[in-house]
Amino acid sequence: MKTPVEERLSPDPGSGEHHHTAFGLALRIDPRISIPELGSRPDSVSAELPSHVRVDPDELRRRWDALATRPERVREIHYGETLLRSVDVAEPAGYLLWARDFGRVLISPDGIELLCEPDPANEDWASIISAQALPLAATLRGLEVLHASGVVLDGRAVLVTGPPGAGKSSLAAALVRAGGQLLSDDAVALALSDATLTAHSGSVALQLRAAEHERLSAEERAALGRLAGSIDGKHRYVSTGVPDAAPLGGLFLLERSAAEPAVERLGAVDPFELIASTFNLSVRTPERLRRQLDVVSAIASGGLAHRLRVQPGVDAGRLAAIVREHMEWGAVLGGPAPSGVLSRHERLLEL
Amino acid sequence: MASPSTSDLLAARVRLPQHVVHRNFVAETVVLNLQTGQYHGLNPTAGRMLEALQQAPTVGATVSALAEEYGVEQEQIQRDLLALTRGLLERELIETVDEDAG
Repeated sequence: MKTPVEERLSPDPGSGEHHHTAFGLALRIDPRISIPELGSRPDSVSAELPSHVRVDPDELRRRWDALATRPERVREIHYGETLLRSVDVAEPAGYLLWARDFGRVLISPDGIELLCEPDPANEDWASIISAQALPLAATLRGLEVLHASGVVLDGRAVLVTGPPGAGKSSLAAALVRAGGQLLSDDAVALALSDATLTAHSGSVALQLRAAEHERLSAEERAALGRLAGSIDGKHRYVSTGVPDAAPLGGLFLLERSAAEPAVERLGAVDPFELIASTFNLSVRTPERLRRQLDVVSAIASGGLAHRLRVQPGVDAGRLAAIVREHMEWGAVLGGPAPSGVLSRHERLLEL
Repeated sequence: MASPSTSDLLAARVRLPQHVVHRNFVAETVVLNLQTGQYHGLNPTAGRMLEALQQAPTVGATVSALAEEYGVEQEQIQRDLLALTRGLLERELIETVDEDAG
């Protein structure tokens, strides 16, 4: 017998939905929706109930307009005076994500239905799904999403987080060129089970600034994947052969510094800095808040957090070498290299 | 609600309400109110006091042990402990237990 949720979804075997895996979710995606950022990972997540993404403006409006209560505005992102993005929440409809020039996505409170109302003037409207809607759905479905780039090195996920423009994507690209596999460019979903954290892949489209793109050889560009156009002056590469998930090996917090690049394992990481690097602060249910704190606690107690101090304009390849060596030390010795050792290594590199 | 007197507070038993969780970090204890979504940070000494408060039969019962642990006068520990306890009560991060109610 079908549950009410299954009845609501009424799957149609002949619908031609795309099967995908992203953010730890098994996805069924409307054939009218193309999300190249998700790469070509087929469904491999064992889930009793996949999340469904479909274009259905009529159903979105029907549910949102039928609300008996006034929605609560829980998030707004502005650029100057201009509102770029908002999130409203209201039971029983769920979370309504709106993004200027992209459209609206209504995400059910359980995260298993995503109804889209695209902006017809924007052929790239679906990028809002991988950038915002799926991370939100993953949060509602019990994962914790970090605002981070992620790369798998030697079977372990290395995440890089930091303020906008700090160089997360550049470092991730350099780690991929150094032999890593891209896990996600901007957001990584973490699952916590028995004190073990697993990082799940997300959007695998790396966006490189023109200057950085020009510096790369043809071979280095090929290592990044397939060139899939340019947006806002940035070249977009979609990685291929992307892993679904990997155990979390390290989280590197980027910090601008005038000093030489250096990495330091954080024995006393600021929990609020970790909380601030999580995604979807608009979801404030008790279950989520507790899970968010548990994930942050697991990162701290596992000794997984590191500070990576970077000078503005430092070569990303050099940073990637530092990160890679730090991770190799951890694998060999059971713990990250002492920062003093890496400082000496850095001085050697300069010679 | 009026703040309890010093003697009442020392004789009270306190606990974390169901809507409050906390996790210990190396340099900080984070206390989270799940109803309001507000996080609160406690320094290591306050975090240790919170742990002691949860285990002791009364607030006052923790004073001598904490004074010995930190190597300071009991009066100073009691003063700091009462200030912390009042602060946590005001923020509804702990609650007093009515022993008569079981």
